[in-house]
Amino acid sequence: MKLFARQVCALVKLSFIELWRRNDIFALVLLGLALMVPLSMATPFGAEGASRYLDEMALLLVWGFSLFIALGTGQRLFPPEFESRTIYPLLAKPISRGRLLVGKYIGAVAASWSALAFFYVLFVASVLLRGGTFAAELPQAIVLHFAFVALAVSVSLLGSLLVSASANLTLSALVLVGMFFFGRRLPEYAEGLNPALAWVVKTVYAIAPHSEFFDMRQRLVHGWGAVDGVVFLVALAYAVVYVAILLLLASCVLGRKRL
Amino acid sequence: MPQVVKGEGALAVAFGDARETISQAFVHKADSYFHGGIDMECDHLAEHGLAAHDDDHDHEDCHDEHDRGEAMQGAFDPWHWINSHVRAPDVHRHLGGGETIELMPWFWASVKADPHNIDAWSTTWYIANNMMKDKDLALRVVTEGLEKNPDDPELLICRGRTIYDNGRGEFAAAREAFSAAVAAAGRMLQRGGSPDERILKARDFAQAYLDEMAKKGMEVRNSRGR
Repeated sequence: MKLFARQVCALVKLSFIELWRRNDIFALVLLGLALMVPLSMATPFGAEGASRYLDEMALLLVWGFSLFIALGTGQRLFPPEFESRTIYPLLAKPISRGRLLVGKYIGAVAASWSALAFFYVLFVASVLLRGGTFAAELPQAIVLHFAFVALAVSVSLLGSLLVSASANLTLSALVLVGMFFFGRRLPEYAEGLNPALAWVVKTVYAIAPHSEFFDMRQRLVHGWGAVDGVVFLVALAYAVVYVAILLLLASCVLGRKRL
Repeated sequence: MPQVVKGEGALAVAFGDARETISQAFVHKADSYFHGGIDMECDHLAEHGLAAHDDDHDHEDCHDEHDRGEAMQGAFDPWHWINSHVRAPDVHRHLGGGETIELMPWFWASVKADPHNIDAWSTTWYIANNMMKDKDLALRVVTEGLEKNPDDPELLICRGRTIYDNGRGEFAAAREAFSAAVAAAGRMLQRGGSPDERILKARDFAQAYLDEMAKKGMEVRNSRGR
């Protein structure tokens, strides 16, 4: 156990260094500033005082950036190791494929979480600078967002072991973004379709990752208050179970992969 | 067929007729803000038309996240259960008074996307005039709207109503706006084709205001004569 913890710590450290060294985060922050600063200076029809649209836009950017970071981090866990053949010295440590997968996953999630925490610090700072207050539901929203990032990394990790990098990033983004915006409406869409298509849509609804469960943006922006504790725990449990299943599948794929 | 870009500016060139859809999407977003961030399946805010909007309207015929899906699926759907609790508040509420300033950015985006979206202009005017009670803002909105849509009868009525409601002896300016609205509606109706219900309504509405003002003017003159 102690050895496993040390191995995981080493992999987490590596993931942190890799993510922060790439400067992706700083490029995203600059992009965010380029979008948000002109928006914050706008006075629609000369009327001042509207702030919710700024919070909404900022949160949308935080979600978009976190997805970008999570998918990229998940994608870069194994394929570069296979291409540069550094997987051999890694497996010769000795460390099993399963442990390597879990360790790398934890490292990627921790690194992505650090980026997300950085984005939220900037978001809260922007709210406070505009004279806003710290929303009571913010901690819950952040925790659910962290769960979403963990889910996105696992989706990308599994995809990276199955298809090429570009295909994985495209498909993962399509599934997660599609479910984020349209997931809750799928049963409605299925109603108007022929039985075969309706069955496909309902199956997608049943098994696709429901990224929309973790979206508390509207609660934050409009001050609806915190989510009921039971619902919050169920949403977290959903993420844990989903991630576990995806990691199990990834472990099977990695175990069968000819290196 | 020559390709003609309707409207001016980069947005018109880039999006063409899609601007109308984008503009409507922003109006829908504003409607969602009005209902405290919930996507109600109703258009109460956009439906105010020329009559007063009932701020305390109920939603018996509308649906939100809570009832969506429940009506469709008899069996318990755990995904819907999570969604309905995470993404919908327990209490339905409307923005009111000064809070409605939060709707302005979305209407501003809407009319930027499609400056000929009269519904968006008139709803923005309604919010400024009746909900925020900011007559200066209402006049700014309607003036900008008339710059983009000269002689639009509905916007002329909005202008007239704001001036008329000011009640500071600006009846002449209000009468001018209502008369312009009647004349503009008449010109539009003369263009042929089937008469537009909205134009007919606008003409009748402006005329009703003119009649009311004439009646008030008579009463004032009579009281002075006594």
